[in-house]
Amino acid sequence: MTTTFDVSQLKVRIGSEPIIKGISMSFFSHTVTSIMGPSGCGKTTFIRCMNRLHELVPNIQVEGSISLCNQDIFSVNPMVIRRQVGMVFQRPNPFPTMSIFDNVIAGYRLNGLPLSKPDALRVVELSLNKAGLWHEVKDVLHRKGAFLSGGQQQRLCIARALAMDPSVLLLDEPTSALDPKSTAHIEDLIAELKESVSIIMVTHNIGQASRVSDYTAFLLGGELIEYGTTQKLFTVPDDPRTEEYLSRKFGA
Amino acid sequence: MGSSPIVGSNLMTGVGGFVHHNRWFKWGLLMGPCALITLVAWMVVTFGMAAWPSVSELGLGFYVTDVWDPVHDIYGGAVFIVGSILTTALAILLAAPVSFAIALFTGYYFCNGPIAMVAQWVLDLLASVPSVIFGFWGLIVLVPMIRLIETHLGVPPYGVGLFAASMVLALMMTPLMASLLRDIILTVPADLKEGALALGATSFEVVKHVVWPHTLPGMVSAIMLGVGRAIGETMAVTMVIGNANHWPTHLFDPSNTIASLIASDFGETSDPLVISHLIHLGLVLLVLSLVTGFLGRRLVRITRA
Amino acid sequence: MRDDRLSQRILVDRMVKCLLMGVAVTVALVLVSIIWFVASRGIGAINWTFLTSLQGSPGDLKVGILNAMLGTVMVAGFTTLVVVPFGIWCGVAMAEYPAHPLVKWAVMGMDALQSIPSILFGILAYLWLVVPMGHFSSLSGSVALAMIMLPIVVRSVEESVKQVPVTLREASLALGASPTRTILKIVIPSGLNGIVTGALLGLGRIVGETAPLLFTAFGSPFLVASVLEPVQTMPLLIYNYATSPYPDWQQMGWGASFILLVFCFMLGVFTRFLVRK
Repeated sequence: MTTTFDVSQLKVRIGSEPIIKGISMSFFSHTVTSIMGPSGCGKTTFIRCMNRLHELVPNIQVEGSISLCNQDIFSVNPMVIRRQVGMVFQRPNPFPTMSIFDNVIAGYRLNGLPLSKPDALRVVELSLNKAGLWHEVKDVLHRKGAFLSGGQQQRLCIARALAMDPSVLLLDEPTSALDPKSTAHIEDLIAELKESVSIIMVTHNIGQASRVSDYTAFLLGGELIEYGTTQKLFTVPDDPRTEEYLSRKFGA
Repeated sequence: MGSSPIVGSNLMTGVGGFVHHNRWFKWGLLMGPCALITLVAWMVVTFGMAAWPSVSELGLGFYVTDVWDPVHDIYGGAVFIVGSILTTALAILLAAPVSFAIALFTGYYFCNGPIAMVAQWVLDLLASVPSVIFGFWGLIVLVPMIRLIETHLGVPPYGVGLFAASMVLALMMTPLMASLLRDIILTVPADLKEGALALGATSFEVVKHVVWPHTLPGMVSAIMLGVGRAIGETMAVTMVIGNANHWPTHLFDPSNTIASLIASDFGETSDPLVISHLIHLGLVLLVLSLVTGFLGRRLVRITRA
Repeated sequence: MRDDRLSQRILVDRMVKCLLMGVAVTVALVLVSIIWFVASRGIGAINWTFLTSLQGSPGDLKVGILNAMLGTVMVAGFTTLVVVPFGIWCGVAMAEYPAHPLVKWAVMGMDALQSIPSILFGILAYLWLVVPMGHFSSLSGSVALAMIMLPIVVRSVEESVKQVPVTLREASLALGASPTRTILKIVIPSGLNGIVTGALLGLGRIVGETAPLLFTAFGSPFLVASVLEPVQTMPLLIYNYATSPYPDWQQMGWGASFILLVFCFMLGVFTRFLVRK
């Protein structure tokens, strides 16, 4: 099975405080991998290392290596990586000054990649279709996205990320700010998307992880406790801490 | 939600420094503040150089000489420095309690509802009235009224003078200070006020024991800011102070301030040394304004913390 | 015994409330009466001739404030054109690098600028421009006004940029955009509302300024096309007419005051409206 990201001995510190204490794992292509764990376990930091957005934090230091398709992501300009890896954030963040149409192709505009009008139309329709939003917005493409519901805005952000044709899509708790119906919508979407793009998803919702992902990684205190297929992790986990986390969440 | 240091909302303030622009853009950007600093430095240098002839000629005596006589070539700044300070002090003395009253009105007694909204609106609009219009009104309406008072008091009925200038200044300062004070009064936590009321205090007692102590530092900073504004106020004062270059012997006597002297005499004289004297006085005004401005901001920062 | 104290306290409370209300209402009425006075005196002076004629000399029949209105537009407009781009430049720099020593000094410089009385900027522009040029000019007036307007605009821009949610920057960066493109294409456009508000606030402030123009723009009875010549502005005209001995000129002064007042009010209302958005 081919891998997308290969993480080797990743250690992350902010100042003198260790956040991630040596994680090694590989993510497989055409799969959905969930990263879960309690608050403060480092899962958000971890996923942000994948597209080097962790560099926004002052005093952050990284040791170890991350490779994307055998390319060390720290040896190139971060923008190169970010064009191959898409990200969707916890709160939907479409650009408020742009129309829905412009939002979808924002990646091209911002990177100075020219798109002819027919190409732009094609990309917009394709991406919005993949994100399951086309039919709802096809008549209002040139309006600004503020009137869309939270779930629709999030799907717009997914379309925006997909428009760049990334090999990996990073999702940072994509449904935690949404209502249950939108959440269900997006979970269905994720299942469909893995055909074309590999997905790494941070979630604190155990049910979501079990429904949607093929592989699951359990992080605790900055360490990778267990990583395996979702089925195994949820039924017969190796590590007692995994079991304790899952039961505490499922149980009382 | 955990307090992950990397979650977006923690970066809400002070993004700068975390984002690494390319070197050209960064230094290009920083050229702006650099130019700003150069501008301010150049301002100080220009002022200093232009005032130097006066400073070297008259030295410290300038600050205590109370004669300004172009005919006999005697120049001293004492009258104007004191004039500026006196008009400002009187104006603030009048404006501060009134502003506090208005602020209590809109920030405490009627802080919700239409009265407060209308009052706030009106205050904001009044604060945007140009000072020359205040001066015009002062000249045409206030001065004749003061003349009447002066004839009743048996004082020479000039109309213009210290009193007129202070009154106009006070009226100009009031909308500003009232708005500032209202904002400060609104920061008094509701639970403190409610706690006092629950103990049976009247609303005045809540003001006396809860609101007043809480807003006192803010009051001081608002006064400082008002002082900073009032001391440099030119147009309205020039039009009603009487432009008399001597000590005021009583409240209704005409006098002069630094700003109004500069306004009336700067364009009139061609003697470079006199211009230097005027700039010298301007430097004094500059220092006074910077000091009060600095103190005011310091106090605002302390109260905000 | 307890009851006595209570009724006394209630009395004090009522008295204070009345006193406060009395003071507040009185002063508010005085302030509003000023507006009323300006309006009542001023409206009578306004007619078509008034708005379309030049200043002229005492005794002229066809006189008006056209040159003052156009002069105000010229001086304020020129100032705005210069200050707004520079203000955006500085404001963005100060928002992006708040910890840099250059920025810290610039903030101090701006705080200083804001405390300085406006007439002193007139002196500076006089020394910098009027003396070398040998004559008054609207350019020197604009320079003086620019130093009043600059801190207002820079502050607004800085606030505005800082308030753009970080998540928008993150979204842009995650799409692979460079930080520079992010600022130019996402952050500044998102902060446009605040920038425009700042420009309007600054404009409102300088339109009513007289003192710094006394010996820079100086005033002139003519229609002026070049920034290198002295020019008349509304506040300057009001000052001249208010202190003049001619009653018909004073009447014109009221007319001009009313127009200036209405303009300042409308600007203020519009700015408040933008802030609400």
